[in-house]
Amino acid sequence: MKKLSQEKDDLLIRYLDGDLSAGEKEVVEKELLSAEPGRQRLEYLQSVHTYLKKRARLEMPSKNFTEKVLDGLTTVQFRSSLSYKRGLLLLLGTLLASGIALALLSAGVFDAPTTPLVVDAPIDSELFKVPTISIPFNGKLIVNGIIFLNLGLAFVLFDRTVLRPWFQKRTSMGY
Amino acid sequence: MITTQQEYSIIDKILAGDQQSYAVLVDQYKTYAFTIAFKILDSRSEAEEAAQDAFIKAFHYLKTFNRQAKFSTWLYRIVFNTAISYKRKHKHAFQSIETTVIAYSDQSDKQLERDDKQLFVGKAMDALSEADRLAIQLFYIQEFSLEEVADLLGQNVNTVKVRIHRARQRLADELTRILKQEALTL
Repeated sequence: MKKLSQEKDDLLIRYLDGDLSAGEKEVVEKELLSAEPGRQRLEYLQSVHTYLKKRARLEMPSKNFTEKVLDGLTTVQFRSSLSYKRGLLLLLGTLLASGIALALLSAGVFDAPTTPLVVDAPIDSELFKVPTISIPFNGKLIVNGIIFLNLGLAFVLFDRTVLRPWFQKRTSMGY
Repeated sequence: MITTQQEYSIIDKILAGDQQSYAVLVDQYKTYAFTIAFKILDSRSEAEEAAQDAFIKAFHYLKTFNRQAKFSTWLYRIVFNTAISYKRKHKHAFQSIETTVIAYSDQSDKQLERDDKQLFVGKAMDALSEADRLAIQLFYIQEFSLEEVADLLGQNVNTVKVRIHRARQRLADELTRILKQEALTL
């Protein structure tokens, strides 16, 4: 079936909404609705209109909606992406790792002088000589860096898991 | 119904620490907020959760409300954004009972045909974008003004008017397509 032009389609919607003047209405009824494409299009637009009208109502929330919101005002403040338990476990893990590294450091495990890290060349021939690569490696310095990073992470975890929720709680209780 | 001035004084009270005063605002707008969330999520439980979440967010951001717009407009945008992110987060097929259950009874053929069409318009709604679907649904609810719908979508009134007009035509187009397809499968 031939599709109606945009202009005629617009007229049909306005006809449906009762927005047409008497003259325009007459034109629509005589020209558009006398033929099948116009009649069918109006029928479909009417179905859409009826569907939307039928569902045009305000929906009622549950009776205790307001109470739930008010309860949520206090509980949500303590909600964090990191749960208390998980945060504490991570904090303990980080501190433990730092402790072990510190113990090893004080036991002198990393006291050896700068160790060259030697990478052997896989090909060795008379024609093709690849120089030996050595990277200076200071174990003590690296472990110190790791301990420093771990302590920083531990502080962030302590803040997120313990300090921030505690201060929020105090604020909400009006201290 | 509370006036804008009364609303501002309630907001002042809340900002001064009177949390219980928030109940007045929640009672005033809960139906509208829930309706918006429901139209987006098409599930009562999800809509309830999203609307509550939006009210809680609005409470925590209340000091950022600059009073240049209406509180309701500001709140509805929070509800709209919260419901949209809920939909993205819990992306599962929300199936409306209205669009899945066909209750056949002793009805005339004409009535059945009408019901079928209604069912297919429900299906056709899926072809609309989120914003178009919400705009057209809220527009039909008399309690939401065109200005409110426009503010909610962050667009001007004329754009929304055109959107709604085009959405109705699109729905009729979709209905034509679905009915043609149905006729072919018979």
